[in-house]
Amino acid sequence: MADENAPMQAPPSAPSGGMGPSGPGGPRSQGGRPGGPAKRGKRSFVRKKKVCRFCVDKADFIDYKKAEILAPFIQERGKILPRRMTGTCARHQRWLTVAIKRAQNIALLPFAAEL
Amino acid sequence: MEERQYDLIFICRPDTPEADVDKVIATLEHAATEKGGKIETINKWGRRRMAYRVQKLREGYYVYLIVKSSHGEVVKELERRLKVSDSVMKYLTVRLDEELKRQEKLKRHRERRAARRPRKTATATPAPTPGSGEQAAAQA
Repeated sequence: MADENAPMQAPPSAPSGGMGPSGPGGPRSQGGRPGGPAKRGKRSFVRKKKVCRFCVDKADFIDYKKAEILAPFIQERGKILPRRMTGTCARHQRWLTVAIKRAQNIALLPFAAEL
Repeated sequence: MEERQYDLIFICRPDTPEADVDKVIATLEHAATEKGGKIETINKWGRRRMAYRVQKLREGYYVYLIVKSSHGEVVKELERRLKVSDSVMKYLTVRLDEELKRQEKLKRHRERRAARRPRKTATATPAPTPGSGEQAAAQA
């Protein structure tokens, strides 16, 4: 705010000095102003932070036999959902993929959707 | 060698009578003891829908066993028997002792950390206050 006021005061005080310095001074302050709101606009898009479900439950082991626990982490077509979708932490995602793959092998979870 | 723990799940055809399933389990138990292993738990999950078709069937009779043995020969023999038996459609053996050990370790670690936590925060809180005091002094 102070920066904006200073150039506004400057042109009337130095009209005889020349329009040269005041000319660039004006655009510069204007250039600074649109930059602010644009940045704020980007910042306003705040993503809700996802929390690893297994960390919340303090899981030390992901059981491949409990298909109903693993089911939310696969897509309709049977793909394993990536971490960025589910918010699972790296360590639990590592365990989770192993558990899902085991469950698939014993027909508790599908490899791919049928039909 | 230390004892290993395995999960052994097998799926029988849904039309096999209960007696045949029991017979399969009995042969496995016999084979395991013969090779020096032990079947600890027998848990029949019963008929349940499979996630995909196996041998053109949608359902299967699930049986879950926990096997303990000190060497892999037992698993080899059990898997051979399962492969030979006609009523078994699918089986899976998973070695779990290392994961269970890890689970135990993490659990112990967490408990120890939980016990230590109050002391840790107590030491952490006084530390920043002198630091911030110095910063304030430097700014002044």
